[in-house]
Amino acid sequence: MKKKNSILNNIIRTALILILTFLLSLALQYVHIEEHITTLFVFSVFLVSLMTDGYWYGIASAVIGTLMVNYAFTFPYFALNFTIPANLLSAVIMITLALMTSALTTENKRQQSIKAESEKERMRANLLRAVSHDLRTPLTSIYGSSSVLLESGNTMTQTQKEEMLKGICEDSQWLVQMVENLLSITRIDEGKVKIIKTPMVVEELIDSVMVKFSKRYPEFDVELTLPEEIIIVPMDALLIEQVLFNLLENAMIHAQEMTQLSLSVHSTKHEVIFEVADNGCGIEEERMKALFTGTFEPEEGKADTQKHNTGIGLSVCATIIKAHDGKIHAENLKDGGALFRFTLAKEEEQDGQQK
Amino acid sequence: MGSRNKILVIEDEENISRMVSALLESNGYQVFQAKKCSEALMMSASYVPDLIVLDLGLPDADGLHFLKELRKDTVTPVIILSARSTEKDKVDALDAGANDYITKPFGAAEFLARVRSALRSVRGHLPGRKFELNGLSIDYDSRCVFVRNVQVHLTQTEYNIVVFLAQNTGKVLTYTQIIKEVWGYPDEGSIKKLQVNMANIRRKFGEKPGKSSYIVNELGVGYRMNG
Repeated sequence: MKKKNSILNNIIRTALILILTFLLSLALQYVHIEEHITTLFVFSVFLVSLMTDGYWYGIASAVIGTLMVNYAFTFPYFALNFTIPANLLSAVIMITLALMTSALTTENKRQQSIKAESEKERMRANLLRAVSHDLRTPLTSIYGSSSVLLESGNTMTQTQKEEMLKGICEDSQWLVQMVENLLSITRIDEGKVKIIKTPMVVEELIDSVMVKFSKRYPEFDVELTLPEEIIIVPMDALLIEQVLFNLLENAMIHAQEMTQLSLSVHSTKHEVIFEVADNGCGIEEERMKALFTGTFEPEEGKADTQKHNTGIGLSVCATIIKAHDGKIHAENLKDGGALFRFTLAKEEEQDGQQK
Repeated sequence: MGSRNKILVIEDEENISRMVSALLESNGYQVFQAKKCSEALMMSASYVPDLIVLDLGLPDADGLHFLKELRKDTVTPVIILSARSTEKDKVDALDAGANDYITKPFGAAEFLARVRSALRSVRGHLPGRKFELNGLSIDYDSRCVFVRNVQVHLTQTEYNIVVFLAQNTGKVLTYTQIIKEVWGYPDEGSIKKLQVNMANIRRKFGEKPGKSSYIVNELGVGYRMNG
């Protein structure tokens, strides 16, 4: 289907350019400056080769152009005549030009797609490296603690044992979140496949997020601000739930000295705005730029050994929101703290009535 | 100790099976373990467990197959252990008669709560005239619902949803199951309709999102009355 469309597209472009050239040439002939007509056709062949895929359209337009020039604009008028060397020469020039331009553009396009591919490859490698690094720290602690407990558990005090077990439990919980995030990314499949959106009542989504959050952080209360009316947004609910959870958890982990965390939802005519704000330490300027790409690397030596270092969670958020055709953005608040905001398109009104 | 509840754990992963069994045994349940579907069918017939914990991915047959075989002649509650990537399997299993599901990985407290709730659901709610649970009460005769002794005014649809959930306390009901019960037939917008109703019910119950003590929202799957 797509291939058919692109062929049609190419043919239309070729035809349009040739027709325009022909009309222009007629005009030139009318005012008796025929000597530039051949140049005009050479230029149109160049344009066609540039704007279409592959060799064939350029060559075809060269042949058609030669015939047109020969037939209409060179002596004898309105008759084909290849015995005049000048006509033959212009035909050869046009075809050669078409071949060369097509070759160049095709090569250029190929190079670009290779570049895009390698860029994607690089991002994937970056992500993998960051993930593996992030996985190693908690795994080390889990593996270490459990083997210590196994081997010398009976010589340890009850408190020591409990502390180790608590560490194991915490680190595994962190691993669980990491795996959830990775699974979310694979669901999107590198942005190639459109996600399946189903209409979701925002309040129900928030309910589920808050239940999850208070299971993980029972001691912390999130301030909720929700609109009075019931809002429906088409989305992949599990993915958006992941985004909200990541943003909240991100604040819990990174916003030092935070005492307040709020989640608010506003709705405008066409979109819904979700905001997660904290009153913690804010985001460092140097981190801001690469916040959603997961590529931020602290300077050598400064690299803190904290396991929650890389922004996998946030880059997952960005990927998910992008797949929903939404926007995500972060800023520091005037009074301290950070704000994350993303928007999603609302369900169209008449759409809702039809269904 | 003859009255201990018997639980059949069907799980092929040695480590998970051991963990679940240890957890259950230390909480006073009697545990049987099965690793294969065929073995599990035999054991459930001979031991008549009070509850079955079922992993969906078994080596010899699909867990769903076991569930369908089991449901031919018993109503023993079944809790599904599932991985997140198999969301559709979850819904399928619930539609095929499972009571609840728990997503791997899970914590001990959460798992035990589900087990208790599933066991309670069989002891059942006699089709009496009244439903009582943690401050929520429904009077079937007068069709009145009270939350902490305050009457809540529900629409016809909302009432029907609450009653259906109440009669299946502890069991996850899928969107499809609720829609079939309440509207009779599913159509394209009915999940949306259901969600809107649920949001309204929560508001009328005076509960904030994330703080529901009665109806639990299982995103993408369905709802459950906490019990």
